[in-house]
Amino acid sequence: MNEPAAGCEFAEESPADLASAEFSSLYAENSRAIYYLALRFLGDPQKAEDATHDVFLKAFRKLDQFRGEASLRTWLYRIAINHCQNLRQAWHDRHVFSNADDAVWENAAARTDSPLRVLEIKELGQRIQKTLDGLPDEYRLLLLLVADEELSYEQVGALVGQSSDAVRGKLHRARKAFAALFEKNA
Amino acid sequence: MKHQTKLSQEQQQQHAAEHQTQQQAVREFANAEEMLRYDASQTTVPPGIAQRLQKSTGDLPKPKTAWWKRLLGGANR
Repeated sequence: MNEPAAGCEFAEESPADLASAEFSSLYAENSRAIYYLALRFLGDPQKAEDATHDVFLKAFRKLDQFRGEASLRTWLYRIAINHCQNLRQAWHDRHVFSNADDAVWENAAARTDSPLRVLEIKELGQRIQKTLDGLPDEYRLLLLLVADEELSYEQVGALVGQSSDAVRGKLHRARKAFAALFEKNA
Repeated sequence: MKHQTKLSQEQQQQHAAEHQTQQQAVREFANAEEMLRYDASQTTVPPGIAQRLQKSTGDLPKPKTAWWKRLLGGANR
């Protein structure tokens, strides 16, 4: 996935300030979405905090390159996805990783039309994280993006490099895998 | 008799309260996205990020307004 292309140069004068209206509102409107994606994609609050900082810093540096072809939210997501995937790749390169357990959810009997029931809401975050950690990156990312009501299937598709039809198809399988693992993690 | 009636009422109230607590404790989500949406709404962005950003961007030159904003004279959202 490519980050936005380079464009204009930065101004030489006036020091940057987070309080500058444009960047401040960009942060206010999108920080929760970006932090949540980073948190659940990376599975570590400290890494998510660092990643969110780095994503908005990149956005600040490249704000003048934003061409307005996509929404600002989509543009930020693109930067965040690239950043988080790079971090995960670096981690995977240092650790032996096996997907041998994939069959657990691939062959799971979980139904996608059954509601997910939760008894203890306090531990929901941990259980969600454990479930997401057990999913392939593709499914995890897809679910996290589709969960953002501001994104259409077309926008999600553009972010993951798939058509909106492919997104719908994979979403069905991702829901099923999530439900199966969520039950298993009860 | 009155004592029995009062006991019965208390038992009913206790049962209703337990039932209500049980109902509140069980939460249903139609699918994974709905659950994640709820989880996201309960997630607080650490205030330290904004503070770090303020420091990090403080030394950087302020970016120019995007070409499309100059052209249109407004925000795109």
